[in-house]
Amino acid sequence: MSEVFDGYERQYCEISASLSRKCTSAAQLDGEKKKQKVSEIKSGLDEAENLIRKMDLEARSLQPSIKAGLLAKLREYKSDLNNLKSELKRITTPNPNQAAREELLESGMADTLAFSADQRGRLLMSTERLNQSTERIKDSRRTILETEELGVSILQDLHQQRQSLLHAHGTLHGVDDNIGKSRKILTAMTRRMDRNKWIIGGIIIALILAILVILYFKLAH
Amino acid sequence: MADQTARGEDFEKKAEKKLAGWGIFGSKYDDAADLFDKAANCFKLGKNWDKAGSVYIKLANCHLKSDSKHEAASAYVDAANCYKKISVQDAAQSLNQAVNLFLEIGRLNMAARYCKELGEIYEQEQNLEKAMDYFERAADLFQSEEVTTSANQCKQKVAQFAAQLEQYPKAIEIYEVIARHSINNALLKYGVKGILLNAGICQLCKADVVAISNALERYQELDPTFSGTREFKLLSELAEAMDEGDIAKFTNALQEYDSMTRLDPWKTTLLLRVKNAIKAKEEEEDDLT
Repeated sequence: MSEVFDGYERQYCEISASLSRKCTSAAQLDGEKKKQKVSEIKSGLDEAENLIRKMDLEARSLQPSIKAGLLAKLREYKSDLNNLKSELKRITTPNPNQAAREELLESGMADTLAFSADQRGRLLMSTERLNQSTERIKDSRRTILETEELGVSILQDLHQQRQSLLHAHGTLHGVDDNIGKSRKILTAMTRRMDRNKWIIGGIIIALILAILVILYFKLAH
Repeated sequence: MADQTARGEDFEKKAEKKLAGWGIFGSKYDDAADLFDKAANCFKLGKNWDKAGSVYIKLANCHLKSDSKHEAASAYVDAANCYKKISVQDAAQSLNQAVNLFLEIGRLNMAARYCKELGEIYEQEQNLEKAMDYFERAADLFQSEEVTTSANQCKQKVAQFAAQLEQYPKAIEIYEVIARHSINNALLKYGVKGILLNAGICQLCKADVVAISNALERYQELDPTFSGTREFKLLSELAEAMDEGDIAKFTNALQEYDSMTRLDPWKTTLLLRVKNAIKAKEEEEDDLT
């Protein structure tokens, strides 16, 4: 793409060189020949302006990185063209005061031209920056949405875990009750065991006493 | 790792001998079960999944004979885990038996959990019908245990598969029930718009324009915040595009939504179906005119 731009650039350089030569030669001429040269120069200037406009369009359609450099070059060429125009004006107005006045006003116009070109450049840059910030905002929105989805899934997991915890809580209460019941049963069992021990002990003692009594009675007769 | 396999085989042989011979005090099943457990452990360490699985099944049989169903069911679950790494069919079988045992004991919670696992296995195998079946069973079991979140998750999967298998009314019903339930819950209400979007996509697949507009109104009533979301905007634009048969508008709306949040493969499949349906209708109209 920038080949087209380079082509335009070369053409412009040629034209501006030839125009400046024609200007200097026309300054030395007079009358009819001067008018001829002046008209030639004017057509040359129009062509140059055309080229500049084309270069401008080319530059804008390229990528921003190259664009900036090309636009700077373009501004130089525009100021160059304005110089040529002022030269032409100086040539066509032989009156020195008039010429000086024209030059002053020309320079003012050139300044405004340059100023407006500058303004255009600045507006373009701010549009660029706005576009970039739009992109960044879109990106951050995307991230926010992803985070929201993540949050939703986390909440669902939490809900599930809450239910499991409640279920476990209930089960543990059940376990608690069962442990209480088993403790009662165990104490009952130990009591029964003790009772049985005492009963057996008592029976053994009774039997021993009975045996002793019988033996005593046997031996006493 | 080879010595682990050898040790495992050793334990297995000892256990079999115990089973074959007569044990004292009838404790032979417990001893055999113990040895089987050690054997299976060794096989697992030696990464010999096949033998480990088969030993676990034998272990389960032992436990069944000694009437401890819970242990048997756990053994079946362990067997399924081992088989998962080699053959899915065996794993499914063992899990099935485990689920039946749990149902008999009355541990519905665990039965439901393993039903869900079975459903996931079949989903991986792309056997959507069976997967749907198992997920439905799991959802019912979870519901009876009042574990509503897991039930909702299973039901969502059921709806997903139903939509893929083109059973749209069923899917729509399930999604609406889930949405109605989730709204009341403070934690789940942020997920409602996703569910309503899924329901809306199923409505679009049904291609009944009146029903779609009714449904959209219903969803707005159900969830007051729904009308502000991008999901609602997407659904209304898609409904309009379908009404007018305008594919460009349809694609534009989708691109806009996709640029913010990616559409997952399930949604993409269903929306592609809708798009093809619109195209077909357009061509039909062209043929008529």
